[in-house]
Amino acid sequence: MPPILEISNINAGYGAGPNILQGLSLEVEEAKSYCIIGPNGAGKSTLFKVIAGLLHPRSGDVVFRGESLARRRPDQVLATGVCFVPQDQALFPEMSVRENLVMGAYLVRDRALVRQRMDRVYEMFPILKERAGQDAGKLSGGQQQMLAMGRALMIDPILLMLDEPSLGLAPQVAQQIFTRVRELEELGITVLIVEQNAQRGLELADWGVVLDLGIVRFEGPADGILEDPRIRELYLGKAASAGDTN
Amino acid sequence: MTNVIQVAILGLLLGGVYALMAAGLTLAFGVMRIVNLAHAVFIIASAYISFFMFENLGLDPLLSVVIVMPLMFLFGVAVYQVLFRRIEGTPRYTEMTVLLTFGIAIIIEGLLGFFFTGIFRKADPEYATDSFIVSGLFLPEGDILFIPKGQFFATLLSMVLLFGLWGFLRYSQTGYAIRATMQNRAAAQIVGVNVRRVSAISFGLSTALAGASGALMSYLFPFFPFRHWQWVAVLLALVVLGGMGSIKGAVIGAFALGVASSFVVDRIGPTWGPMTFYLALFIILLVRPRGLFGKEVAV
Repeated sequence: MPPILEISNINAGYGAGPNILQGLSLEVEEAKSYCIIGPNGAGKSTLFKVIAGLLHPRSGDVVFRGESLARRRPDQVLATGVCFVPQDQALFPEMSVRENLVMGAYLVRDRALVRQRMDRVYEMFPILKERAGQDAGKLSGGQQQMLAMGRALMIDPILLMLDEPSLGLAPQVAQQIFTRVRELEELGITVLIVEQNAQRGLELADWGVVLDLGIVRFEGPADGILEDPRIRELYLGKAASAGDTN
Repeated sequence: MTNVIQVAILGLLLGGVYALMAAGLTLAFGVMRIVNLAHAVFIIASAYISFFMFENLGLDPLLSVVIVMPLMFLFGVAVYQVLFRRIEGTPRYTEMTVLLTFGIAIIIEGLLGFFFTGIFRKADPEYATDSFIVSGLFLPEGDILFIPKGQFFATLLSMVLLFGLWGFLRYSQTGYAIRATMQNRAAAQIVGVNVRRVSAISFGLSTALAGASGALMSYLFPFFPFRHWQWVAVLLALVVLGGMGSIKGAVIGAFALGVASSFVVDRIGPTWGPMTFYLALFIILLVRPRGLFGKEVAV
């Protein structure tokens, strides 16, 4: 099966700054989940921004289902089914939970479909239904993350990128988020996840990708990476052996 | 007591027009982080359009809004596409817009001076100098209140337009997109809002509001090209008071300062009127720099 997403030789950086991604290449297969790990500044978030069309690469190409995304605007990328849930501040704080979900389906003109998808999101995240009328800015951190994920589902994505979904959350709340991520995978969505709790992220994913200095340093089955002593030492840190990278 | 009510009424009627002027300015900042120093010169340019349509075609300045607003909308979209798009996304974007709009203001001021000379203009439809006279009601025997018709119609029209703007932002698809962009530009992009298009439309709306304000100015306040500097200073004071980017704040700030300046004029003297705005500006910057309804912004 050909890869659903093909990233080849991407060079990218911000403004006049240096390249953060330095000739990065990666192939992503459909309906698999990928956990991307690597030290700070490795280019994990930058990679997501390039795929989402928020940052145009200086060279190289991103091909999704045969279409090049490298020069497209974010709304055009989204229309192909590629959806990005950034690290933080991804919501509209002065809009209600319901309005945020409506905005998630901004590109969908069919109102019945929007309603149907909203019901699905409420089913998956019952707390959002309870808080439907509340301003998004007033939700707790975990609820905001759920809303960000729920909003992404409004577009019915084929490929979903989650950037550190458990950042700053209490362990139990993070656990709830991970359970939802697992459900997304079961829905057949291709998931790319960057997770600061690398151990946990790799346990969730089928495939592990190690990023360092803007290129893919290593990739392989996620459980293999968890067991590879070199990678454990280099990228999971010593704490990983105790099963906790927090 | 009657005098206090009279002064308050005049202040509110002034505030209504200020609110319309300031709403456009704060919209441009809220959506696009543009500090538009040319907003007042757009108002004056529109005042000229309304003035000449009144003088030459006999078109009522209030009705001229129907022509001036769409005209200024298209002008705004064009200005945005030609001048602002190329600096979009640059570091220090907001500072760049200050310089850019300063330049635009000087150019338009020069053109207006060249074509229309520097003499004072003011349209004089009949209602401009007429008043409704109120007596009886709750007023003491023999006391009367004057409600200047021109100011009254202007404030009424302002309220209708601001209400329309509110409804548009609240309920239309584009309105959702504009509010989303105001609250979180990156998130708006992520959900598929074409923020460039939304920015161009918002700038057009902002200049259309300047257009409507200009139509009102054409008969309310004498104007000439250079006057816009004085106006933009007042408008910036209103917008900062309300909180940069907050339309609600701008409207409330406009009414509050309209009434305040009206009392200053009555109690202290007309020359002190404009001082009210700057004094309020200093106080708000000292006490609450983000304004009444503004969010903390790093500009």
